[in-house]
Amino acid sequence: MFMSFFASIRWQDIIDILLNSYILFRLYVLFRETYVFRVLTGLALLWIFQRIAVFFGLILTSWVLQGITAVAALIIIIVFRNEIRSVLQAKNLKAILWGFPQKIVPTTIQIIVDSVNALSKRHTGALIVLPAKEDLKDMVHSGIPLRGLVSKEMLTSIFWGDNPVHDGAAIIEGDRIAEVGVILPLSYRSDLPSHYGTRHRAAFGLAETTDALIVIVSEETGKVLVAKDSNIEEIQGDTDLIKILQEHMGVYEEENGYQKKENFKISIAAIVSVFFITGMWFSFSKGLDSLITLEIPAEYTKRDPRFEIVNASVHTVRLDIAGSGALIKSIQPDQVQVKLDLGNAVVGQNIFSITQENITLPPGIFLRKVVPSVIEVTLDETIKREIPVQIDWVGELPKGLVLSEIFFDPEKIEVIGGKRILENLSTIYTEKVHLESIKTSGTMFANLALTPAALKIAPGSKDKIRIAYVIKPRIE
Amino acid sequence: MVRRYRFYIFLFVLLYANLFFVHRTFSQNHQNSVADTVQNSPILDHAVMCEEVTDKDPINPAVVFSIKIGKVSCFSVFDPVPEKTFVYHKWFHKDNPSTNKRLTVQPPRWATYSSIQLRETDKGPWRVEISDRKGNLLHILRFSITD
Repeated sequence: MFMSFFASIRWQDIIDILLNSYILFRLYVLFRETYVFRVLTGLALLWIFQRIAVFFGLILTSWVLQGITAVAALIIIIVFRNEIRSVLQAKNLKAILWGFPQKIVPTTIQIIVDSVNALSKRHTGALIVLPAKEDLKDMVHSGIPLRGLVSKEMLTSIFWGDNPVHDGAAIIEGDRIAEVGVILPLSYRSDLPSHYGTRHRAAFGLAETTDALIVIVSEETGKVLVAKDSNIEEIQGDTDLIKILQEHMGVYEEENGYQKKENFKISIAAIVSVFFITGMWFSFSKGLDSLITLEIPAEYTKRDPRFEIVNASVHTVRLDIAGSGALIKSIQPDQVQVKLDLGNAVVGQNIFSITQENITLPPGIFLRKVVPSVIEVTLDETIKREIPVQIDWVGELPKGLVLSEIFFDPEKIEVIGGKRILENLSTIYTEKVHLESIKTSGTMFANLALTPAALKIAPGSKDKIRIAYVIKPRIE
Repeated sequence: MVRRYRFYIFLFVLLYANLFFVHRTFSQNHQNSVADTVQNSPILDHAVMCEEVTDKDPINPAVVFSIKIGKVSCFSVFDPVPEKTFVYHKWFHKDNPSTNKRLTVQPPRWATYSSIQLRETDKGPWRVEISDRKGNLLHILRFSITD
């Protein structure tokens, strides 16, 4: 059963699923972590609840939910027009179809490095202490607690010249600035270079007595140095500083870990999209098979203009079609057509078989039966012919009168119609003309009655007959 | 140059003259044949539909007749009648042939008529086609049978 089920899936169905899965996945990538996505999710849940309400026959609930979902699309476009516009105004199509908007979350290390660079450029002296395992409480004093999140703006403003705490050091614990304005112990080593000032000595003093790492920005030169474990070294570039900080803080996998988490989320989203769309596809195409019968008029194409159809064995064709309930309900009248090609038809009787090729059905709808399977169509060549007219009198003349003579115009009419019909037609009659009202001679008009209805009066010919009649008394 | 081609010119003139005279002869013969036919056929002087014929006179000629009268006649007068011959009165009801009457006419002048008995199913439009012995249509009379 499973083999036949999978065998019935066409390559078009696979493309259908993949295409819609990708569209859903792109919607997630472009609008994730925005209000748009959350609202869309909420609407999807509303729609599901509405279907459940319909299933259980909850009339009021389904009516309310149906009303909300009906206007939801409009609400989304109006309320989230800015978010939608920012996505659609992306620099290039690639960004919409393929790009992954990166959420850049700078790490603590990156913030410290950026801050140090900024301070170095401005020759702003700074001391940044990063403790390790040892507690610094006994070694430092006069610190002012801050407990603020590390940010570039915060760090650069702490060491700004007019800031009261700029002379001290800032202690960073984790991702927070724990204390500012901290006084560090000075080193009394005599072998330090002479150009090292108080700042350097303070850093060195803490480094030689604890396992902390101190970053120094020289006010005079703008150079960046790092002091740790009785060593002090000058930093040449960001990479060196990042490496030293990573080693000290043990956060090698921090950035890589974040990226891996993001990739994992995207992969899950892609898989969920495929499963969701596949489920929807099955519910549309395979679930709840419905069978209905439609009466469709037969259409004829490519008829030679010289010929006309004088007779057809049937005018409508009965089609038994099947498909999922949702698709069957949504069929529009113009989506189902029966067309017969008269390109090769000849004058006289033509027999056409109605097959799958003659029938147009919407995708997902299948043909089960056609009745009748054959149509006979009679074609005839169109000609023009002049045919005599006769008045069709009915009723009874008043007693004692005879209608002795009539003169009518036109006496002949040019008629257009099928050759087979016109060749055998010798008279065109008027509509019934009643005698009861005729008492004296006079004139009247009568319309023509063209039979069969396929006949037409040629352009330029009159379609009304003027009748002049003569009434005489009857000779008894 | 004319002297060189005079033989061919003569041949051309001969050919053309031959064609011309042959055509004239053919036309003449054809016209003679038609004239001959026309001359021998009776000429229809007048014809009417009427309720009955009494003493060779049509009574109550009309184009509409009531079914109640029971009968209708087609009266036709031929003048002249070159030789004894016969004519046809072909009756059609709603374009369907109903009956065909063969009537003898004799020189010099002859009146004749044909009649049909009317039934309830005979209501509707009729026509009578008058033709000669060879089937040439001489006249059509159209009428209706009503209530």
